[in-house]
Amino acid sequence: MSELKTNRLFPYALISPAIVVTVVIIFIPIIQTSVMSLFNYVIWKPKDNKFVGFSNYMKAFRDPVFWISIKNTLIWIIGTVFLQLILGFITALLLNQQFWWRGIARSLILIPWVTPSVITALMWRWMYDGNSGVINDLLVRMGILKEYFPWLANTSTALPAIMVALMWQGFPFFAIMILAGLQAIPRTLYEAAEVDGATSLQKFTRITLPMLVPILFTSILLRIIWVANSVDVIYVMTGGGPGYATHTLPVYSFIRAYKALDFGYASTLAILLTILLVIFVAFYVVKVLHSREEF
Amino acid sequence: MRKILLVLFLLIPVLMFATGQKETEMATVHFWYHFDNPESAVNPLVAKFQKENPNIQIIPERIAWNVYNQKLLTAIAAGNPPDVSQVKLWWQPQLVEMGALYPLDDYIKNWPGRDDIYDRIWKLTKYTDGKQYLMPLQMVILYMYYRADWFNELGLKPAKTRDEFLQVAKKLTRDTNGDGTIDVYGFGIRGARGGHDFWGTFVLSSGARFFDEKGNPGLTTPKAIAANQWFIDLYRVHKVSPPTTPNDGFKEIIANMKSGKTAMTIHHIGSSKGMVEALGDKISAAPVPKGTERYWTSFGDEENGVFAASKYKDAAFKWVSFLATAENNAIWQKASGQVSINKSNAMTPEAQSNRFLKATTDSADFAAVLPALPATAEFVESLWPTLMQRAFNGEISSKEMMEKIQELFTKK
Repeated sequence: MSELKTNRLFPYALISPAIVVTVVIIFIPIIQTSVMSLFNYVIWKPKDNKFVGFSNYMKAFRDPVFWISIKNTLIWIIGTVFLQLILGFITALLLNQQFWWRGIARSLILIPWVTPSVITALMWRWMYDGNSGVINDLLVRMGILKEYFPWLANTSTALPAIMVALMWQGFPFFAIMILAGLQAIPRTLYEAAEVDGATSLQKFTRITLPMLVPILFTSILLRIIWVANSVDVIYVMTGGGPGYATHTLPVYSFIRAYKALDFGYASTLAILLTILLVIFVAFYVVKVLHSREEF
Repeated sequence: MRKILLVLFLLIPVLMFATGQKETEMATVHFWYHFDNPESAVNPLVAKFQKENPNIQIIPERIAWNVYNQKLLTAIAAGNPPDVSQVKLWWQPQLVEMGALYPLDDYIKNWPGRDDIYDRIWKLTKYTDGKQYLMPLQMVILYMYYRADWFNELGLKPAKTRDEFLQVAKKLTRDTNGDGTIDVYGFGIRGARGGHDFWGTFVLSSGARFFDEKGNPGLTTPKAIAANQWFIDLYRVHKVSPPTTPNDGFKEIIANMKSGKTAMTIHHIGSSKGMVEALGDKISAAPVPKGTERYWTSFGDEENGVFAASKYKDAAFKWVSFLATAENNAIWQKASGQVSINKSNAMTPEAQSNRFLKATTDSADFAAVLPALPATAEFVESLWPTLMQRAFNGEISSKEMMEKIQELFTKK
């Protein structure tokens, strides 16, 4: 092997383990899922497994649970990311102030983010518990509730209750990202604004927000993708119930795969989720890029 | 140097997926089970078995119960099942449909321990094609737990009929500390997965049948829909079960009994040890009440299946038959807290004086199983809990719920 050829192959050799792992654990399963979505593939009915074309997709469009899951997925993504963003923003602004225990505060707010999802879900499930939960206890003691309320067993409150739990888990990500962005804004901009007689609100809307747009753009994009794919917290807290009240598309896909063992239809739902997410993200990217040009 | 590094990096992916297999002359039996404390029963039994059978190695693998069914079926689909696995009777249709189980008739025919297992268990576990795929391991029959102290306080007796049951549950639902809110509920219903046993006790006993004697579906008759409505009303109208009912699973119904939140619930002898630890003599048990037509309670069971893909079927049978013999089965039940399948184990004085065992044996004549159909697994795992939660929350009617269940069982 010539020296030149070795030099040319060397970078490829270095990244080959990463490529092999990515192909094996990401690309091959994606292709398998796409293929499986075209089959009637119920694990315990091996004799009935056959190619059905786009029948599973047609079935999904006629399936009322699919549409309930789509609706819940949209509420889940928009609601959760919005709540996390607002709380994260407020936290970042507070942490950007000077106070003596700022270092400790910055470390403490990371706790929800580093807590494993299953622990978060179990913790909130017990806090919401309709018989002995601390949330009910506090609300009754404060006189807001007359008696304990089954937050996770009630159709109207189950999804919002989980969204609050996920807001708690995810807001530190926004807080840290936005804080980093705030600290990168040059002081001179604020000083110049002060010389021009700008108010605090004007400084916030004319300097802080526009300077944070790139960070907000990336953070929101990442959170949309993570939150949309999230199954663990919902599954541990309610199992997708009561009824279909907390069925989001990934939860529905998981239940079809691992409870009904209908891997063909579950794959279809997973592919539809991917398509939905790509559309959602593309729309978001185009919208944000467009608005950035306006700044 | 660079060339060496290059070769090494190119080899890494290959090495990552290379596995080595060690040939062994010993028959190796992989045994899947779900049991919380392996030290208490499985390990001593494995040691005992291996001492008696030095050429067989048992490799026990504990699988979490909530993922047991899906792990087993996916392992079979992937062509890599264990040699032996603890299974439930209602999984049998799916396992047979997959061609996963090995019929044990020829082995059992010559097995001396056969006559020490209750005839009814052999009958219930035989599959509809006439073959015996499963070796019995343990049994339970569901009964009603009740707070004997509160029954005495209010002058109540365990209900014999459905109507009596409602009256008793209403009386037990009360505000005991005078703060104006209910703090004890008469009946803890399991609205999440596994609660079909509660439903069966009141609905399948009062006019609803999956199929009648002629094989016609019978879940959407007026009587069946009314029986289901009666069950829904326990929560929605009479409010004799806690507000959390739709999401309450095994842990919640047991915790509610232990903490004094509920006065009655349905479960089996497996939870009696924990109940007695928490409540002592305050807890007792009785057979479930009769519906408008008959009694119905669930025969809960565990068997061991030998898999068709096993290379060591003889060794696998030796292990499952070892666990089904009286002496070893008694060791198993001591840890599981369930009931032995052996006639000889039921004769001990200890068994005779146990009030929970009495409630179990008193229910033996009417204990029943769900239909031996592949749809049963989906009914238990996902359809029933979803529909029941929706019905409890008023999203669907009793009729809609029963129609959906019937649709699953009659779907071609």
